[in-house]
Amino acid sequence: MEKVFEVKDLRFTYKKNRIEAVKGISFEVRKGEIFGLLGPSGAGKSTTQKILTKLFKDYHGEIMYLGKDLQSYSNDYYEELGVGFELPVHFSKLTGLENMKFFSQLYRNKNDIDDLLKKVGLYEDRNRMVAEYSKGMKMRLNFVRALLNNPKLLFLDEVTNGLDPKNARIIKDLIREFKEAGGTVFLSTHLMNDVEELCDRVAFIRGGEIVEISTPRELKIRYGKRELKVEYFDNGKTKEAIFELDGIGKNQAFLELINTHEIETMHSGETSLDDIFIEVTGEVGNV
Amino acid sequence: MSNFGLLFKGEMVRLLKYKIIQISFAMTLIWLLVIFLIGSEQAATFVPIFIFTDAALMTVLLVGASLFYEKQENTLKTLMITPSGLMAIISSKVLSAIYLALQSTIIIALFSMILFDVEIRFFWLISFVVVIAFTHTAIGYTFSVFAKDFNELIAQVGMYMIFFAMPTLFYALGVFSEAFETVLMFSPTHSALLMINYAFEADVRGILLLIGTIYLMVAPIFLFKYIIIPKYPETAVKD
Ligand SMILES: Nc1ncnc2c1ncn2[C@@H]1O[C@H](COP(=O)(O)OP(=O)(O)OP(=O)(O)O)[C@@H](O)[C@H]1O
Ligand SMILES: [Mg+2]
Repeated sequence: MEKVFEVKDLRFTYKKNRIEAVKGISFEVRKGEIFGLLGPSGAGKSTTQKILTKLFKDYHGEIMYLGKDLQSYSNDYYEELGVGFELPVHFSKLTGLENMKFFSQLYRNKNDIDDLLKKVGLYEDRNRMVAEYSKGMKMRLNFVRALLNNPKLLFLDEVTNGLDPKNARIIKDLIREFKEAGGTVFLSTHLMNDVEELCDRVAFIRGGEIVEISTPRELKIRYGKRELKVEYFDNGKTKEAIFELDGIGKNQAFLELINTHEIETMHSGETSLDDIFIEVTGEVGNV
Repeated sequence: MSNFGLLFKGEMVRLLKYKIIQISFAMTLIWLLVIFLIGSEQAATFVPIFIFTDAALMTVLLVGASLFYEKQENTLKTLMITPSGLMAIISSKVLSAIYLALQSTIIIALFSMILFDVEIRFFWLISFVVVIAFTHTAIGYTFSVFAKDFNELIAQVGMYMIFFAMPTLFYALGVFSEAFETVLMFSPTHSALLMINYAFEADVRGILLLIGTIYLMVAPIFLFKYIIIPKYPETAVKD
């Protein structure tokens, strides 16, 4: 599999407060995959993204982009790159469309702006000033901004931040569409949901260090417990019992329970990635 | 620099959309009204000071304020991930600041020439205002890349005024003796006023004028090369 990025022992320290935000991380991003960088607030996700998008140049360690040192690329690097920032990045006194037209002309490759605006549901509002947009609208415009140059590689930082479920769905579908058309995605997030639905591989980052790199599926198998939770009536009270899902048909305790008690509910549960997030990073993720 | 033209056009469009051009124009009208009120005898003294204020001090403030405003909108950051290049991005901003200084200079100069017969070396006025505005964009950017927030920037500009602009204004009003002028040449503000005075046909020592002009052309290049360009990305990228 062709590697888009090969990162070795990457370190970065903010000069001003001497905070070492990235402490020697190594990973690779493969062509055509959605790679997730997942971690709690302050873990170093945005810092890593800024380094890979050449916004911070004085890092230590090695970053290879398509087999060549990232430092050796000129500004043409940005022709292939789409970057979705964590916060809205628009001129507030220009309309959504004016913003997109301005940025679009700075690239050689151009996407169809109207089409993109339609896809994220902003076409009707294209002639309104961005200052009048809601947070969710601004974030959707951020997404359009990232795709203006028809990039091969998409960086997305907290891309569903501030979006309602319907719009989050639309953006996720577009990310998947981008991938299916051959694009590579580097996605930073603290939302398990995003990772679970989108990522092919995921790196957990905590305190500037990667603690685990895996696939969402593998993680579930490794950390996951498959269980069955039964709520039943006993002496006028509701009680609860948990059984291993595997081999449940031969589990005597379970069989006896359902034969002898009135069952209220039964739920099979797989450990969610959320639980794994807590286990791996020691912190609570937001869904 | 292939994107320079597009970036400059974008800056100009935004000067209009954010009503900076309109506000600057309104300021110019206020100067004109003041000149009109103080009458023709005093005009020759005050017009150069007004033009100097506009080209030098207003430029510092405007450059700093717009940089902070744009930082808040995160648009500096998103420009950094276009293929434009730092030089094109910064020069487009510098040129638009110079445009603003020229706009008010030309209006004030024409008004004073036509209404009050103030004598002006027009070519030199325009050329010098370009140089002065260039220097002061560099000063404005230097302050901005060091200031943590807008208040700090205002404080720096305040200090600059006290140490560099005030002595020059006092000198212009005759508070200091002429011998003091050589010391004052270290102040970009003073060189600026000297140049503007020359454009208004005042008696200016040729050697000082030459030194001042060279100083104001060279100093900003150093500021851009060694301070602004290296530090700008960090300023632009910070959330
Ligand atoms: N501009 C900056 N100057 C100094 N320190 C910074 C700066 N930006 C981030 N940091 C520090 O670097 C560390 C990593 O921050 P970063 O923004 O990369 O985290 P993150 O994983 O993106 O968090 P979040 O989920 O909140 O966006 C934090 O300790 C933060 O305080
Ligand atoms: Mg972040």
